[in-house]
Amino acid sequence: MNSEYIHTLLNKYWRCETSPREEQELRDFFSGTEVPGELVRYVPLFAYLNEERSITPGSDFDDRLKTAIKKSEQEQQYITIRIFAPALRIAASLLLVLGLGISVYFISKQYNKPYFAETYHDPNAAIKDATYALIKVSNALQSSEEASMQTIQLIDELEIDWSSLDSLSSTLPEVPGKGADAEEMALDKDSNDTGEEIKEAFRQEEGDL
Amino acid sequence: MRRTLLILLSLFFSIAVFPADFVNRFIEKYGESERPLDNVNIGKTMLERMADNTSDEELKNAFKELNSIRVVSSSDTEDSRYYFEKAHELVKDMFTEYEEVVSVNESMSKLSVFMKKESNEKQDLILITLDNGGKFSLITVSGKIDFNSISKLSGSLKNEAGITGSGI
Repeated sequence: MNSEYIHTLLNKYWRCETSPREEQELRDFFSGTEVPGELVRYVPLFAYLNEERSITPGSDFDDRLKTAIKKSEQEQQYITIRIFAPALRIAASLLLVLGLGISVYFISKQYNKPYFAETYHDPNAAIKDATYALIKVSNALQSSEEASMQTIQLIDELEIDWSSLDSLSSTLPEVPGKGADAEEMALDKDSNDTGEEIKEAFRQEEGDL
Repeated sequence: MRRTLLILLSLFFSIAVFPADFVNRFIEKYGESERPLDNVNIGKTMLERMADNTSDEELKNAFKELNSIRVVSSSDTEDSRYYFEKAHELVKDMFTEYEEVVSVNESMSKLSVFMKKESNEKQDLILITLDNGGKFSLITVSGKIDFNSISKLSGSLKNEAGITGSGI
């Protein structure tokens, strides 16, 4: 075969422009014995291509094909199950609603216990208990007020000399390691916390309550 | 579908979590059939109707602002002491958000008032008392609580309501 023609075919082959017939010509050429020295390096490539083309279905081809067909049929069966999916969804939803219904039933049953329910239907009957409750709360608040007032009175009766107590703050030794904080906690000498102010604070607290 | 499920689930959980009321918890946890308790529940609707029915302005104002009044009591001295202690335990164990505002501990009577203030419109008060006669009372008041008007509720109201000390 003309060497120049082979070179032309090869160039076309590299550019992927060869026809099947031209490729066959190339394979035939390179499988022959008259390959020029400069083209010998392409022999393995075309030998490989020839080998690949010579592959024929094996003896187990039919079995493999049948298995593949069966697998495809199984996939079709799965599709059949999916047709029933909406029914499954409905069943799951019904189950959930049923579960919620049962839970709500038990909760509402619990709410029907006497200590959950409104005791009275007549406001005139309820007013006695409501007033009783509020009076109790009122008494509790008043008793705490009284207790605070009694404390203030006790403090008054003690006749404490608050000014001398205040003056103590200036003579208090500084607590080692605690410094100014301890002194501040003991008595703040800069502030004018007299007994009257403490009592006033007590009264104010009671007023807030 | 998913949205519906979420709505249903949130509705369910809100219902399930709801009974966190002190009185409910107290009765469920400590109430015993051998130690009977009296229980009175007055809700918002009833309080509004009561406000419309009463002529006393102090009471009218007090009732209008409240959401509920619940009373639990025991007249047996021994049971009362037991419930008084248990009520305090419950506050300390499960209602820690309540602050003790009043505590009086005298030989004849004991009382504690606990408060939780969520806003000016929503406050919860728990009163636990053991009175002179050894009677236990647990009172919860919820809503907008006007302490000034409540603490000034006049003695004449007691007569109007026919309260002679035992009440419930």
